[in-house]
Parts: sequence; C-alpha cells; structure tokens
Amino acid sequence: MIEAKDVSVDIAGKPIVSGVDFHARPGEIAAIVGPNGSGKTTFLKALSGELAYTGRVALNGRDLSTMKPAEAAVHRAVLPQATMLSFPFTVREVVKLGLVGGRSGALPGEDARLPERALARVDLDGFAGRFYQELSGGEQQRVQLARVLCQVWAPVLDGKPRFLFLDEPVSSLDIKHQLIIMNIARDFARRGGGVVAILHDLNLTAMYAERIFVMHRGRLAAAGSPRDVLSDDLIEKVFDCRLKVGVLPAGNMPFVLPQSAVY
Amino acid sequence: MVDQSIAGPVMASVSEGDRSGRARIVILLLCLGLATAVFLSLTSGASDASVANVIGGRLFGAVPDDAALSARDSLIVYDIRLPRVILGMLVGAALAVSGAVMQGLFRNPLADPGLIGVSAGSSLGAVAVIVLGATILAPVTALLGTLALPLAAFCGGLATTLMLYQVATRRGQTSVATMLLAGIALAALAMALTGILIFMADDRQLRDLTFWQLGSLGGATWAKIASVGPIIVLALAAMPFLARGLNALALGEATAGHLGIPVQRLKYTAIVGVSAAVGASVAVSGGIGFVGIVVPHLLRLLIGPDNRYLLPASALLGASLLLLADAVARTIVAPAELPIGIVTAVAGAPFFLWILLRKRGVVDL
Repeated sequence: MIEAKDVSVDIAGKPIVSGVDFHARPGEIAAIVGPNGSGKTTFLKALSGELAYTGRVALNGRDLSTMKPAEAAVHRAVLPQATMLSFPFTVREVVKLGLVGGRSGALPGEDARLPERALARVDLDGFAGRFYQELSGGEQQRVQLARVLCQVWAPVLDGKPRFLFLDEPVSSLDIKHQLIIMNIARDFARRGGGVVAILHDLNLTAMYAERIFVMHRGRLAAAGSPRDVLSDDLIEKVFDCRLKVGVLPAGNMPFVLPQSAVY
Repeated sequence: MVDQSIAGPVMASVSEGDRSGRARIVILLLCLGLATAVFLSLTSGASDASVANVIGGRLFGAVPDDAALSARDSLIVYDIRLPRVILGMLVGAALAVSGAVMQGLFRNPLADPGLIGVSAGSSLGAVAVIVLGATILAPVTALLGTLALPLAAFCGGLATTLMLYQVATRRGQTSVATMLLAGIALAALAMALTGILIFMADDRQLRDLTFWQLGSLGGATWAKIASVGPIIVLALAAMPFLARGLNALALGEATAGHLGIPVQRLKYTAIVGVSAAVGASVAVSGGIGFVGIVVPHLLRLLIGPDNRYLLPASALLGASLLLLADAVARTIVAPAELPIGIVTAVAGAPFFLWILLRKRGVVDL
C-alpha cells in the first residue's frame, strides 16, 4: 500500500505539486493522467524519494523519508521516461543491474536466469548480446522495463506487496508492445503487487487502470474509477479540449481501440 | 511451433551478452603480464647487474664467484630497481583505477583525475615547495626535510578536491556537471598559480621542475614507498567496494538510487579515494599522463564496462604499462634517462586516437 497525504514539491521556489493526496493498493493499477506540465512526473519523483517534498508518503506503512535507498528499493522499482547510458553495456548487463540490490524475490539460484526471462517477457528474446546504445528508443525502454522487473521479480515479498512505478511506460512503443507492457503491469497487479503508472493514452488508461488520478496545474483535479472520472466536463476542464466520451466517429471513419485486442 | 528439441542454441543463449567469463580470462592474462613486466623491469637497466645472482644469493645462499660484484648487483637490484618497480606498480595501478572510478562517477569516458583538478592541485603544492623551499617556505622544508615535496603535493590535491566538493554540492546533492566544470576552472587556476611560481624560479629550479612535471619514477626509494605506499594501497583496496554502485550509476544518479545504491556516500567515498591515490602518485612521480584514460578505455573494449572486472583489470594493466614505460625510459637513452611522462604520452596519445577512430560507434563519446 502506498499512501501520500498532502504532498507538495517546490522546485527553485516555484510550487510544482501542491497538496496531492494519493494512494495505490496492491492488486490495482493506479494511473496518473493530466496534461503536459501538470506535475505528474514531479509527483512520481517525490513518491519514489528522488525529490524533496513536504507532506507524508508511506510505503507499506513506513514513512518514506526515514527509509534508506536500499530499503525503499525492496518495496518498489522505478521506470523513468528515458534512460541514457554512458558506457557500452550489453542488454544483458543492463537488465542484470536490476539485481544489484539482491532482493528479486525469485527462488534461490534463479537470479542468474532472470535477465533472459525478463527480456522474453518484454518481447526482446535474443537481444541479450546486443549493445544497449545501438537499440531504438522503444527497445531501450523495454530493456529498462526488464531491468525494473528483475528488481521486483516477485510481486509479493515477505508478505508485503511490491510496487512498479512507471513513468510513461508505453509512450515510445508501437501498439503491440503497448499492450504487452500494459499486460505485464496488469499481471504484476493480479499476482499481488501494485502499479503506479503515468499514462497519456486515455483509452489505454480506461482499459487497464482500476483507479485514475487526474492532475491539473500541480493539483489533484479528480480521483476515482475510470467510469467515474472520465467525463466530458473533466476532460474539457483539465485538458482544455472539447471531447466526448464514448462517441463513435461519424460515418465510415476508421478507428482502432486497444480494447478490441484479441489474445 | 518451437521445436523443443533444439536445446543447444537455447542453452548457449543463456550467457549471451555476459562478458564476465571473458573478463576473468583477461584478468588472469593481465596477472601473467604484470609478472612478466616485473621480471623485465628488474633485469633491464643501465647496469649489467644480474638478478639471477642476487636472487640466488638471497634465497638459496649460493655464493657467486665474485663477492664484490655480487654486492654491487645486490645494491642495484634491491635498493634501486626493486623500489622503482614497486613504486611503478603502485603509481600505475593508482592512476588507472582512479581514472576508471572517475569515469564511472562522472558517467563520462573522458573524465580523468587530471580533469577535476586533483593533479593540477598536487602539482601546485609540489612546485611551491621546489621554488619557495629555500625562501618563504624555508621553515616548512627545514621541519619536514625530504617529505616536504610529497606532502605538499598530496595536500594540494586534497585541498583542490575538497574545494571542488564544496562548490559542487548543494543541500547534500553533488551535481556532476557542476563538479566537472568547477574542476576545469580550479585546474586552470592551479596551473596559473603554478605558472607564476615557475616564472619566479631560477635556472636550477627550472630543471627540477621540468623533470618533475614530465613525470619520473627516478627518485624511487624505500622511504618514499613507506610514505605513499600505504595511502595508495588503502585507496586501491577501497575501490572494489564501489564497483556495483558505479555500475548502477551508469544508469544515472536517480536510477542508481532507485536500485538501492546510497549515491551520496558512493560519490563521497570515490572522491576521497581518488584524491588520496592521485595526490600520493603525483607526489612521488610527477605528472604521468594518459594512464588513467587509456587503460580503462582499452579494457572496456576488451571486457566491457562492468566495474567489478574493470577496476582490478585496470590496476593490473596500469601497473604493467607503467613498468614497461619506465623500462623504456631507463634504457632508450642510457646511461641518461627520459622522463616517463614523455614515454606514456608518446605511446598513449596516438594509440588513444587510433582506438577512437576505429571504435567510434561503440565508444560513442
């Protein structure tokens, strides 16, 4: 369980996030949506202990500000928007860095095989020997997700749920891999873990998220289930864009929704 | 569907992209290389002293035919060549490992102890003692004697690094970019002050300065090893504990923190360790360039950037290369001696350029 109460973040004297209440439960995907510059990433950075904040953040009942990096790393793994590497690491070496804390939660002796298994899950089978820097942006993002999965391989450890923090995990991916990644997140939640994801695609959000937190100008504009939150009024107010929820395009205009995917 | 009987390729792909096996073999070969370099260094030199005689005499009590010649050989090997070999290994290992650690810390393959001003600060300290030792600093040199020079170099390096840390650290966060730029500024300042001192120097001091600045292992004595050896050994012994953290740091400071690495402590330990190792090295051998940048680069091409292997391999290759360079410096214009810094630069710079041209895609600066 992740609970944030009245979290605010100032950067260089400017309030970027103000008084946000947030919670993420095990078994659920909690999506954070909002326009560019609404403070989503800043809030996630506060939640992951990367930025100083005021207010209170509790990770599985413990105050985040009192936790050492190694302790927090047991409870949650973080996927940033993009990761640049400065040295020619192979894909396998990058994914293996997820095991640096030594608490993957996999069965004893299984750690050595986790990089390959994680790569297979993000549809990068056979990429282990490639150089990270030679991959495309979308492939690099999936390598990083494989690394993050290694860090919290077991969604539950010592009886406590673990969390995935994903900052725009599908923004640079094609539709097939968007679905693969969101299914990994859903699977992680169904097996007892929790997911906090910043998403831009409202259709994907409605399809996968149990709970949506809408951010607008650094504040929480709405929170609740997709059915309760995604309304014409809210979208117009927050995104400054007049859109209708659930309206099909006129005539024979083609449209493709992720919900139509068949497995 | 996938044919389950194709077990061979599947098994092979398990270790694909894993270079640790290769790294272990390379480290083993580097050990042999270092042993060879030590042997070459002990046996080569301006005199024809026989190591076989000396070792035979000490270890097996063999009495050679000519006792006087044997005593001379013993003196040359034990009091001239051996301290020089040990100092060369210490300095080579310290410079190469410091380079590798700095590059990991700054996440930049061009970072080098020379870059963040440690070497420049050390030089300033040493030059101050050489030029002002007989005048303004006379009480200091009178008090410390021959230790004044190494101590001043060591203090100069440490002072520069601490200043750098003060400038680059705000609210417990060290900005690597600020640190890099501040290091360049501090190095420039230290070099300017050194320049003023050189301007004040007389002819004899100028000769001393030039030789020292170019770098040399010529002054190696057991006393010098006793004064800087423990510092270098301690710093080198601490570095392997940084390897995992430095690996994670390649993903960025934030991500390293998310993985559970105590990033601030890692950075602080690395900075103190590097300034101690480099300060001590510059103190005894002057400015020996290119070891800290060429050695880790070469090894990254061979075994990859994993610091768990890169750091020990750098120590071994740095030590070996410096011994070989010193052997060349001692013999190429015998009985005179070339500053070793010239040898490392003449050999290192073109080689470095060649690597960059050849491996542009992978090194990717």
